[in-house]
Amino acid sequence: MAIKIVPRGDVPPNQINDYFKFSCPPEFNGPNPDPLPPTFSFSRKLLVGIDLLLPDGSKVPMWVIEDPDAPDAPHPLPKDILRRSFPSPTLRIPLDALVNADVDCNGNTHTIHWHGIEPTPMNDGVGHLSFEVTGHFTYQYQPRQAGTFFYHCHKNTVLHFEMGLYGLLLIDPPDPSAPAVPVTYPTGGPGFAAGMNPNALLPTDHVIHYDVEALWVADDIDSRWHTLQHNAFMQKCVPDDPDNPANFSQDGILNDFRPDIFVMTGIARRVSDPSAFTAAENPLFGPLVAPTVKAGQTLLVRTLVAAYAVAQFTLDIDVEVIAMDGHALGVPPLQQYSRPLLVRAGTPIRLTTARRWDLIVRPTSPRVVPVKVEFFNNINGRLLYTATTSITVTK
Amino acid sequence: MKRRDFIKTGLSGLAAIAVGGVGLPQLFRSESFALDRTVKLSMEGALVEMVDRSKVFHWLFSSAATGPSFPGPVLFATAGDLVTVNVANHLNEPHAFQIIGTNVLTAPIYPGKSATVSFTAPAAGSYLYTDPLNAPANRVLGLHGAFIVSPAAGNTPYSYPTPTVQRLFNDLGASKQFPKFALSPAGWDPSRFRIWLQHQIDPLFNAQAQADFLAGRASTVSAAKMRTSFLPRYFTINGKSGVFSAHDPGIALSGRIGQPMLVRILNSGLFTHSNHIHANHVYVIAVNGAVQDNLFFVDTFTIDPLDRVDWLVPFLRPPDIAGNRYTPLRNLIPNELGLTIDGPNGSPGVQQSPLGYPMHCHLETSQTAAGGNYPQGTLTHFDFLGDVDGIDFPNAM
Repeated sequence: MAIKIVPRGDVPPNQINDYFKFSCPPEFNGPNPDPLPPTFSFSRKLLVGIDLLLPDGSKVPMWVIEDPDAPDAPHPLPKDILRRSFPSPTLRIPLDALVNADVDCNGNTHTIHWHGIEPTPMNDGVGHLSFEVTGHFTYQYQPRQAGTFFYHCHKNTVLHFEMGLYGLLLIDPPDPSAPAVPVTYPTGGPGFAAGMNPNALLPTDHVIHYDVEALWVADDIDSRWHTLQHNAFMQKCVPDDPDNPANFSQDGILNDFRPDIFVMTGIARRVSDPSAFTAAENPLFGPLVAPTVKAGQTLLVRTLVAAYAVAQFTLDIDVEVIAMDGHALGVPPLQQYSRPLLVRAGTPIRLTTARRWDLIVRPTSPRVVPVKVEFFNNINGRLLYTATTSITVTK
Repeated sequence: MKRRDFIKTGLSGLAAIAVGGVGLPQLFRSESFALDRTVKLSMEGALVEMVDRSKVFHWLFSSAATGPSFPGPVLFATAGDLVTVNVANHLNEPHAFQIIGTNVLTAPIYPGKSATVSFTAPAAGSYLYTDPLNAPANRVLGLHGAFIVSPAAGNTPYSYPTPTVQRLFNDLGASKQFPKFALSPAGWDPSRFRIWLQHQIDPLFNAQAQADFLAGRASTVSAAKMRTSFLPRYFTINGKSGVFSAHDPGIALSGRIGQPMLVRILNSGLFTHSNHIHANHVYVIAVNGAVQDNLFFVDTFTIDPLDRVDWLVPFLRPPDIAGNRYTPLRNLIPNELGLTIDGPNGSPGVQQSPLGYPMHCHLETSQTAAGGNYPQGTLTHFDFLGDVDGIDFPNAM
């Protein structure tokens, strides 16, 4: 008896072009089609290769997005670190700014997707729904929610995101005492974050003042992937028969992610190295991973999962979740159907790739608050690594 | 099963069977069908073509009207209806039938035998039916499908909405934050829904089941081995991947600004997904049968194995488009809406209107097929066809 076949189906003849762009997006090099005068501009350049240094002195090749206009870093930081770092340099943009992002691509095509920001398709950076940038493009958007976002290359994303082509994108709300003045805050604090204020009189009152800011970007690395080429295992472009089986790569490993290095905001450990992540070991990122705050002060922790493992954050102190994915819980109009969430000390916060929760911590007495970030395989649930760090509360 | 009882509906994008109820005609108002309170299913072996046309053996639920289907046919009912399901086992080892989230469960059904179960359709929501034996192997090898229950009354998808879900649905099209599409009534139109049944396939296990099937012996697939070493090579929504799920009108989100849509997401596999949608944040309104009261408004959400998660996609105008947010888009972005970007290799290029975005899993290993071929995995499209004032964008179908 012949076994029945459930067919895939063919490419509809009148949609060949729609299907073709999937495997082979158009390319574009030029100005924004509907330009408006910006109130905030910056540049980014793709891509730049850097080495991620491990405590044992070994290096992992990374690709990052460069901020060509950043100044030299002060001593003792490496001179280039504000321009070229992993994660890629953090962007801070004032709420409601009309943004022009000048993006240059050298050598190969790329895009930038501003994850969580919701502009037109040409400004959204998804190649097969718009284009890939061959030389230069000015992305334009106007962020209307303050919070935690990130930016990343959206080409062969499974590889390019893993290689390090991403950075945090933080939208800062105005100081409520000067609500008409667009501002950005220094990374590390102090500042204001969007968050529900039960006593708000004006929409701009829905902010929370913080003294110290931590950035917890959990990532993992499969070092086998870091020797691959830019277009590794991509489908061939054949316009008249885009989904011909012969055009599919069959020897790829991009479904098989075996992390052997684990990272908290640019600080890396081999899987065999359980040592705690400390503030002192990295002058740029250390204080953002292992912050110090005074008793009675407010700490804002911004989390982002850039790992392909499931990340579970456990703090030995109560936290209030004030925002998810760049939108403040409980704030009208659109978030009036939610409210901030209390997470008790010791209760894990389990997040998957690309999710962001903003946490408020208000320690009342001096102590060292243990923090662990566990990484789990997303298929079999196996614990892969436990990163440990701490929040130091001083008098 | 009579032909008239089978709905091949553009609304679900899936083979579907209506098993009764007063709430169903409004889901399928463009379809003509009759209701039968008894569903007759069988379990069969079949080859399913993947996105790269490789043929992967599966065990599938089948009905006379649909044939073997991957995933199994969607069963639609209305809360409170009496439903009867008869399941025949045409495979070589014992199987069973369960609806997760209910107490519907048959005893093991031996090869060549069948079982019948009658039950009252539970509270409105989405449920996963599956073979629970040798878990997770029998489910993962293809024996699963969606069971969707509509409420008997009300303006939400639920029999027992929480106060907050009730308030959200009351506000749709009737509040400043949710402007109404000019040409449709306020509120959520129950025919505006999608089912995304997400699955993953590791052909090594299927090949073993195939060898056993062809040899006429009981399956030797080890559930324990699957739990520890499952490594999917294909990733599907409603049985389709990448460009095929992106262009399937029953999977892709489509509508005008101000026409909200419900998405019922289910994960029948073993891979934790992290679904990310562009262009709109979405309200998470139900998780595993629990209608939510604190409605997270997110762009990314975790979909664990066996999870059932409902999203309300508000179809807001993408909020961060630069410029005056009350200017019609045809006046604000006329050049983008009119643009065709030339394609490479002499292809005729890509029209930028209507406005298209992706929904994809951000746990990006799921964006692959056969180990690469980005983005031929868990992905679909989210298309805005027209503005809130009733005027469509160029090229809107």
